[in-house]
Amino acid sequence: MAWPGTQLIDRREFLRAAGAGFAAAMTPRAWADTLAADAVFATAFVKRDGSFGAAVLSEAGNILHTLDLPDRGHDVTFDPVSKRSVVFARQPGTFAVVFDHAGREKPSTIASIAGRHFFGHGVFSPDGALLYATENDFDNAAGVVGVYDARAKFNRIGEFPTYGMGPHELLLLGDGRTLAIANGGIETHPDFGRAELNIATMKPSYTLVDRITGDLIEKHELPRALHQLSIRHMDRDRAGTVWFGCQYRGPATDRPALVGRAARGKDLELLEMPQEVLSGFRNYIGSVAANPAAGTVAVTSPEGNSLAVIDAASGRIIAARSLVEVCGLAPDGAGFMATTGAGEIVGGADAARLEPDYVWDNHMLRIAAA
Amino acid sequence: MSKRLAAALALPLLLVAAWPASAAVKAADVIGRAIDGFVRPAYASLDDHAASLAKAMRRLCAVPSEQNLDAARADFSATVETWAVAEIIAFGPIKENNRLERMLYWPDRKSIGLRQVQATLAAKDPSAADPGQLAGKSVAMQGLGALEYVLFGDGAETLAGKDDPYRCAYGSAVAGNVQAIAGEVRDAWNKPGGFASLWANPGPKNPLYRDGTEAVTELVGVFINELEMIRDVRLKGFLGAKPDADKPKQAIYWRSHNTMNSLAGNLSGIDELFQASKLGDALPADARWMAESIHIQLSNGVATAKSVDGPIDKALADPALRDKLEHFAMITSSLSTLIGTRMTAEFGLTAGFSSLDGD
Repeated sequence: MAWPGTQLIDRREFLRAAGAGFAAAMTPRAWADTLAADAVFATAFVKRDGSFGAAVLSEAGNILHTLDLPDRGHDVTFDPVSKRSVVFARQPGTFAVVFDHAGREKPSTIASIAGRHFFGHGVFSPDGALLYATENDFDNAAGVVGVYDARAKFNRIGEFPTYGMGPHELLLLGDGRTLAIANGGIETHPDFGRAELNIATMKPSYTLVDRITGDLIEKHELPRALHQLSIRHMDRDRAGTVWFGCQYRGPATDRPALVGRAARGKDLELLEMPQEVLSGFRNYIGSVAANPAAGTVAVTSPEGNSLAVIDAASGRIIAARSLVEVCGLAPDGAGFMATTGAGEIVGGADAARLEPDYVWDNHMLRIAAA
Repeated sequence: MSKRLAAALALPLLLVAAWPASAAVKAADVIGRAIDGFVRPAYASLDDHAASLAKAMRRLCAVPSEQNLDAARADFSATVETWAVAEIIAFGPIKENNRLERMLYWPDRKSIGLRQVQATLAAKDPSAADPGQLAGKSVAMQGLGALEYVLFGDGAETLAGKDDPYRCAYGSAVAGNVQAIAGEVRDAWNKPGGFASLWANPGPKNPLYRDGTEAVTELVGVFINELEMIRDVRLKGFLGAKPDADKPKQAIYWRSHNTMNSLAGNLSGIDELFQASKLGDALPADARWMAESIHIQLSNGVATAKSVDGPIDKALADPALRDKLEHFAMITSSLSTLIGTRMTAEFGLTAGFSSLDGD
């Protein structure tokens, strides 16, 4: 399934990629000096006074910069070419805000079109020309990927299906062309808030979609008995394997596996875990992050107040800890930085820090030093 | 970095902050009172009403008449009200075997359930008139929504005569199925060593509730989640920001005029559960006013909902009644803040309620 103008986009992408080096060279020295040594981390938050925003944190966990959001945000994605970040509204939000993590440029807003809302996640093409966002075609209960022209005020230039319902996180795979999409399988409609409308019949899936043509490349579902296991968050390890985390909508007394791996051309593989670690997740994984340098993958559960680190090669749990309302997660050095709903920032160059006014939202993005 | 985090990660699982906020009030006692004082009686009442409804349907099928149709409709409305009280407990046995969706498939946004029910009535499928076989069919065909259409939807008047025995037989099977589900859930909550015992006995070996905090969090979550559900899903599903955005046919139970009865039942359930658990006793002395205020606001909400009777489309078209619906929304918002923000802060239970869930 293609959207119009496919070939044209390809040519434009090529031209834009050719100009990318120039854009990078324009980086102001002062800004480069500030950031040269360290990566920064970007995350949405809710303030205790009820306001919403996104923050850029230093490796030490200090707040470098914040911007206001009109409502609750969710995940952040970054384009290393233009050095712009985008924070998406939490579902069923209808905005995304483009911002400069160094705070030099004024943020701008992308509004979802009529009949669609964002699901909170998106990703840029490798050349920074296009932004892809998971969206809900809610009247048809169908997942779509909205395509935005990042070089033309983020005009929405097309969409293609996610080949599933309730898409959540999406990733760009190593070939730069294939999108991996977690279709959570849950139907929602903004008329009914965040109510989940099809729990009895939900059918999550993991799809690979060609971002240029919009064609479906692969589609994988979980075994029938696990149809209430919603696939939602993902990251890619050093070997290119996609790790996914799930949330179970069946009875709380069930204890299905919650973390799995996906490799091209293979069935989804769910990971066995020690019972005490699995129980600690309370059937809910909120975030998944890989640390390719360390060969590890971490998962968090804000419901179960727990964080676990997995050795990517063996699939074994190598560390687990309790941390109240932990969710945000990003690779940092040989470990991970984690944020919590209680305002904690754990990891970074220093010890854990507390920002009691901030409820850190579900996800955190590491933005590598320029 | 990460040496520290790595070091921390090497530690064994730590316990998070634990209830009680007030040492005098034990989590297990609060949960025990919630179960004995609310959950079990609520499901027993639902089971009684469902049994009475099933009986009324059988009588209507045996002797079709206006009087017996009215009686069945009255029993339906009574069952809807008791279900509205019980359904606030949306975890535990009701979550098994899709019982929640089988009991009430709503919203039926794409009219999937409606079309299935209409097709069944048109085809006079004998298997759908058998409660046992019906339980294995689409969830949308076997609960209160389906029975509402049978009793109040297009063609329901034929139930008073002898021309369409299939419609009554199917309705009777649905009522039997509702009764069966209510009975299963009641029994499961009463079963020794069952879900109730898990919830009321938190501890390190408990697979669901590892400490008192988790058990109490489940209870407080009922208040917070159900208030949000009542307001954002049930009410705002049909009450628009302005009158021209109202959608009366998206209102729950609009056909039987039970929309506001059911919302009143939901709030009554919250009030009963709050009282029964005596959760307010765990508040420090200078915050006891919260319990009183919660009770007063819940009572106001119930009274406001009940004062809007009759068809919901007429209520929406009447500015005075529509104002009451907006007032009802305001009461639930105020309760959400009082319980979800202020009371949880008193208990040190803010963890779990910063809404990191659901995404």
